[in-house]
Amino acid sequence: MAETAQLSDEFIRQLSAVGEVDVLVGIPTFNNKDTIERVVRAVQIGLTKYFHRDRCVLINPDGGSTDGTPDIFKNASVSDFEIMLTSNPLRTFHRVSAPYHGIPGKETALRTLFVAADLLRAKACAILSPTSLSVTPEWVESLVRPAYRENFDFVTPLYQRQKFDGLLVKGLLSPVVRAAYGARVREPVASDLGLSGKLARHLLDKKIWDEDMTTFGLEIWMTTTAIVDGFKIAESFLGPRIQPTPQFGQDLPGTIRQVVGALFKCLEMHESYWPAHTGSQALPTFGFQYDVALEPLKLSTKSILDNFRSNIDQLVPVLESILTPATLADVQKMIALPDRQFRCPDELWVKTIYEFAAAYHHSAINRDHLLQALTPLYRARVSSFILENAKAPVSRFDQRFEELGQEFERQKSYLIDRWNAKAGGDR
Amino acid sequence: MQSDPLWYKDAVIYELHVRAFYDSDGDGAGEFKGLTYKLDYLKDLGVSAVWLLPFYPSPWRDDGYDISDYTGVHPAYGTIDDFKSFLDEAHRRDIRVVTELVLNHTSDQHPWFQQARSSRDNPRRDWYVWSESPDRYKDARIIFTDTEQSNWAWDMSSKSYYWHRFFSHQPDLNYDNPAVREEMWNVMRFWLEMGVDGLRLDAVPYLVERDGTSCENLPETHDVLKFLRHRLDENFPDKMFLAEANQWPQDVRAYFGSADECHMAFHFPLMPRMFMAIKLEDRKPLVDVLQRTPAIPPACQWGIFLRNHDELTLEMVTMDERDYMYDEFAKDARAKLNIGIRRRLAPLMESDRRRIELLNGLLMSLPGTPIIYYGDEIGMGDNIYLGDRNGVRTPMQWNGGWNAGFSGADPERLYSALISNPLYGYQVVNVESQRRSEHSLLSWMKQLIRVRKSTRVFSRGTMEMLHPLNHRVLAYVREFEGEKILIVSNLSSQAQAAELDLRRWKGTVPIEMFGGSPFPRIGDLPYLLTLGPYHFYWFRLRQL
Repeated sequence: MAETAQLSDEFIRQLSAVGEVDVLVGIPTFNNKDTIERVVRAVQIGLTKYFHRDRCVLINPDGGSTDGTPDIFKNASVSDFEIMLTSNPLRTFHRVSAPYHGIPGKETALRTLFVAADLLRAKACAILSPTSLSVTPEWVESLVRPAYRENFDFVTPLYQRQKFDGLLVKGLLSPVVRAAYGARVREPVASDLGLSGKLARHLLDKKIWDEDMTTFGLEIWMTTTAIVDGFKIAESFLGPRIQPTPQFGQDLPGTIRQVVGALFKCLEMHESYWPAHTGSQALPTFGFQYDVALEPLKLSTKSILDNFRSNIDQLVPVLESILTPATLADVQKMIALPDRQFRCPDELWVKTIYEFAAAYHHSAINRDHLLQALTPLYRARVSSFILENAKAPVSRFDQRFEELGQEFERQKSYLIDRWNAKAGGDR
Repeated sequence: MQSDPLWYKDAVIYELHVRAFYDSDGDGAGEFKGLTYKLDYLKDLGVSAVWLLPFYPSPWRDDGYDISDYTGVHPAYGTIDDFKSFLDEAHRRDIRVVTELVLNHTSDQHPWFQQARSSRDNPRRDWYVWSESPDRYKDARIIFTDTEQSNWAWDMSSKSYYWHRFFSHQPDLNYDNPAVREEMWNVMRFWLEMGVDGLRLDAVPYLVERDGTSCENLPETHDVLKFLRHRLDENFPDKMFLAEANQWPQDVRAYFGSADECHMAFHFPLMPRMFMAIKLEDRKPLVDVLQRTPAIPPACQWGIFLRNHDELTLEMVTMDERDYMYDEFAKDARAKLNIGIRRRLAPLMESDRRRIELLNGLLMSLPGTPIIYYGDEIGMGDNIYLGDRNGVRTPMQWNGGWNAGFSGADPERLYSALISNPLYGYQVVNVESQRRSEHSLLSWMKQLIRVRKSTRVFSRGTMEMLHPLNHRVLAYVREFEGEKILIVSNLSSQAQAAELDLRRWKGTVPIEMFGGSPFPRIGDLPYLLTLGPYHFYWFRLRQL
């Protein structure tokens, strides 16, 4: 049963007017005035083009924007469909905007959407990031169709990323999910995703919503929970992913604390599941994959390395509480390498991550401090990757990440051993 | 009959096929004597006008729309005197009579065409449209796509092509010829002098052709109509022209002219959207088409309908809408014909009484003169296994007895098989059974028509659409000479609530028009109404 206590009367009133729907699209926002209009128009065209016979609703849970985002959402429209499409939509286009109560954040927004999906008995849902500059109407179809028409429950996106974009996802999050949970989810923390109404209601019933949500990354939890609870998962190719100018390192500690912390927490939540599984399966992938030329991210390995080196010395005492002596020794050898030869081999990286995960599980030190300590090591890994692949074509990257994924799988037994070892043992 | 130049605005019209209505002489087909006999039924139903499908001499290759004599009565239907008698009896019951005038074409058996084709020098040659090649008027679409490949047909006699927008046995008349116009006026005058009250002008968009155009809605066509209307106004000011122009509303608008062409025109695009709105459970198709409907001269009137003798036309919808209608209403491919669906109202609504009532409620409350197709008032079914559109032109079902009470002939002699399946068969669906029940569809239709006629708001009033948040609810206010009626309809299969902004009518008390119950007075707050599945309200807003 949906918990409606957090929905405002006005929101419930609007939902009542909409009634039962087939497709629900949600765009959670907070101060996204520069990008929200484009996303709304893309959704409206996408729903008209691909779901023109179906009952659809677009919902905007807004966390209290002060820049006019909700008004832009309400007023964004495609004024002349005949230019974009061959005909006008058959049904009323429903657009519901309502601020949600509670702490502004993705978690509350998603819960609001799941409650709405439950109340409206939505068959399929899609959630879109309000900041996607490369969103197209086809994203709606790509994310909804597998859940709505092909009986999948969870649809993660597949992007064509700019060179060196998404290294945290591809270099850490995705391969850990692959190794631990046995599913090769290439974007396990995506802001654009699709899910069946059944899965939305299932997630809504979980107790996680009562916990403190501000430090928890819901996306990774949704992904891993869907796997563990036996839902059918697919990927869907969306095309290029371009966000407002990203800057490497901007709040990197906060990001790692949130997403890697969430990943480690999921491992804890699901510790009765993942140790028993070996190997991994590729996911069914929808959509015709293509490449377009994208400008690579401009990253300065020197500044990243300098940042790494400037912080690492202070962290050695902390790392002594997390890593094994052998791993720490390898890390220190790595620190000593000159810039041009700087490398963080896959084997070392995987071992480091697994030891961090185990230490997190054992609460070897304060968990926030632990995650903060991972940040410079991640910088090292990024520098290494960039130096290694500076001249490599993007097309080589898939193979490179496949090798990394296999290494994470190969060392899974090591993770299990570390995980099950007594706290403080063997360091 | 009382003289009233605007009678058509207040009319409730009943469309019927003489052949299908009642057979009094046992030959298996209806005729005028039979129709006359059944006028009391129509009077009791409450209709104020009948529109008769063609009854003129014809080879009947298009059910009478292929006319071979414009000023006669087909012997199968009786004589001119029988028609006059019917006319008198109808008028005696205050029922006006609208007949067909197929302006655009004749039968190829018409003497005019026989003469025209006999020789290129014949005086009537130029009464039709001829060509040495089939290359002219290339941009004209084919209307009967199921049977025709071209708008030109080869005439062996005169070794040339003749133009036909419909069946190849229906050559188009040439309205560029003044003689044609004069003769058609003579035809009109013949019937109007006899007492006919109105003429439905069949296929008017196609009267004139020009190269490089679609040959539809041309200015020259409107000139023809202005000519005929001028003659009508000079001689018969109480009579009416009803245009059959299956076009988008903005194109139909032209057929009213400046109140100097037709008095009425069918609102074709509205019709499929009523069905669509109920199936989608969304008022959008209706709201959209009504928003696109232009204003018309005050003396003019839309003719609105749910079904008629033709297929439910899907010419004036988008491709997506057409696909949707086929998918939802023509699951059996045999139901498709040309660009439409050849089914009656009740089967389209799957015999759902509530939906049938809702559609009729819309028919009687939306702006325009409602036209009921014979048999739909009792929920007659259809037969898609009969050819062409004959499946919706089966005998009227009067009772559950011999030949449905339609004819005393041997059943094999009937002009058409009766509907006899367990759901819509005459044993189940017939006038006599429904006459005996206050709760039958027929009884309900009588009440609906009675309430409709109780006020001129429906027939002459303005319309203001309301926009409740709940898209499943269609709400509008009609107003005429200070009287206001609020109509609220639930298009959904589930109960709905709707809050209406009625502040403009603050202080009035809604009185439900079928039962007379007063509802709470309208105040400043949104007016909350709840409606059952497919239910509708008509409220008179009274200052009390």
